[in-house]
Amino acid sequence: MKIAFLSESPADEAVLRVLVEGALKEQPTVASAGYRARGWPNVLQVLPAVIRHLHFNTDVDTLVVTGDSDDSPVHTAAHDAPQYYHPHCRMCQLRAVFRQTSKRFPAAHGRLRVRRVVGVAVPALEAWLLCGVEDSVNEAAWTEGQARGILPYTRAELKLKVYRTERPSLPYEIACAVREAERHRRDLRRLEYDFPGFAALLRDLQEPIPEIS
Amino acid sequence: MIASVAFRNFKALRNTSLRLSPFNLVIGANGSGKTSLIQALQQLRALAKLPLGDPATVTRAGGSEISFAFDAPHLGVIARLGCVDDAVCDLLRVESVNRADWEEVKVGLATMRSYVFDHAAMAAPAPRESGARLAGDGSNLAAVLARWQRETPAAFDQLQAELTRWLPEFTGIVVPEDAGGVVRLGLKIGDAEGPVMADNLSQGVFYVLGILVLSFDPAPPAVVCIEEIDRGIHPRMLRAVRDALYRLSYPAAMGETRAPVQVIATTHSPYLLDLFREHPEEIVITQKHGHEAHFERLADRADLAELLREGSLGDIWFSGILGGVPEES
Ligand SMILES: [Zn+2]
Repeated sequence: MKIAFLSESPADEAVLRVLVEGALKEQPTVASAGYRARGWPNVLQVLPAVIRHLHFNTDVDTLVVTGDSDDSPVHTAAHDAPQYYHPHCRMCQLRAVFRQTSKRFPAAHGRLRVRRVVGVAVPALEAWLLCGVEDSVNEAAWTEGQARGILPYTRAELKLKVYRTERPSLPYEIACAVREAERHRRDLRRLEYDFPGFAALLRDLQEPIPEIS
Repeated sequence: MIASVAFRNFKALRNTSLRLSPFNLVIGANGSGKTSLIQALQQLRALAKLPLGDPATVTRAGGSEISFAFDAPHLGVIARLGCVDDAVCDLLRVESVNRADWEEVKVGLATMRSYVFDHAAMAAPAPRESGARLAGDGSNLAAVLARWQRETPAAFDQLQAELTRWLPEFTGIVVPEDAGGVVRLGLKIGDAEGPVMADNLSQGVFYVLGILVLSFDPAPPAVVCIEEIDRGIHPRMLRAVRDALYRLSYPAAMGETRAPVQVIATTHSPYLLDLFREHPEEIVITQKHGHEAHFERLADRADLAELLREGSLGDIWFSGILGGVPEES
């Protein structure tokens, strides 16, 4: 398996690498270039080009992409129905970009398509990092808060809890984030249960790489 | 240190005021007043060294005036610059309940520094004795680093470690001194080869070194102004630039115990601006309409949260929604 990441920062990529390695129980080969987007919706804008590049110019077979949900609608099981697409759900949007971009690609480098692995952190990656440390932080609590119009926490509060400052330096941010991700690596079940946006990423990772039949 | 600045008839700043934070990133079109703000601070620093002017003569009819208020513990101090024309201010009047307060403010103002880095000047050899403090164009960079290596090796080592983290192709700094006491700058690229001397380093390396000298200064000034902070630096490295400046303004966030340094930086980079999505209170937009300019704080924009849902801060600025873009004929 050869894997590439599209993320918003080196800290996000470091977390994703640890979590993906934990799920695979092996060290995947990681494409050397870390692909970056400048937040949402820039990730949607650069994703087609990244998919195209990986498909035609590399032997990468898996692309891992995550986004923060911020205050967008949270993906639900209902969105997984065939033909369903929620125009404001970031999971639905990212999946649609994969579908539309690679729909007409001819097979290349021994595979039909680059495998799609998509996760959405609700409302931000720091919520995943706090999973198991702060019991009140989970996707259901956020979704319920959205429905009631009273959010249980803000993104800034989550970041402050993880980094203990509003302005962490990048090396410090990476160190804090990787420490929490390592805690999950040993046992991903709690993160999978509390955050369906992460469970979806795990399910994508278990799908076979689309091979030429 | 400086809580606010108000301008009357100073260049394009006809009637506007600005609240300053510990860290301030100023964006706006060319010629919209970013540099005027820094010049005003330089004028204050220069005049604060001199005897105070006669209050009766400071405010000239129709003349320019720039007034400054200060942060706690100097809330009662107001300094007013009176200007001969819209470029030269030559009188300073101070309103202070307590004379000692102004004396303390003066001490801080005397340390204020402004920088517009010039990579060609920074590459030049510098006399050993010139390294007490980085010059405004960075021209004594080699001498400053040599002095740090001699006198504050811990700061030198910190800077060197950070440089090699930013630019991993280099492994260290060398500052050889010739018999005439002139210091040159070079960067090591491994043990096998000799260092790359300044003549052969790229422009961006000097800008990075300039920022790091400010960030790791063992005796930093109270206020630092830096123009075009993103210049010559790869967009992916701008987070490191932001961190280096935050290190000055928010030392506690970086585990430092020294006093905060107020930073006023200017940029034209939407990519740098993107990094301030969570701190819009640190962004100042200079707005220019015709011959008149004024300042706005991004955080004062009532619909900011809604706008940020639609795109990155840098893209939104580029679009013109926030203002601070060149006027088109
Ligand atoms: Zn969805």
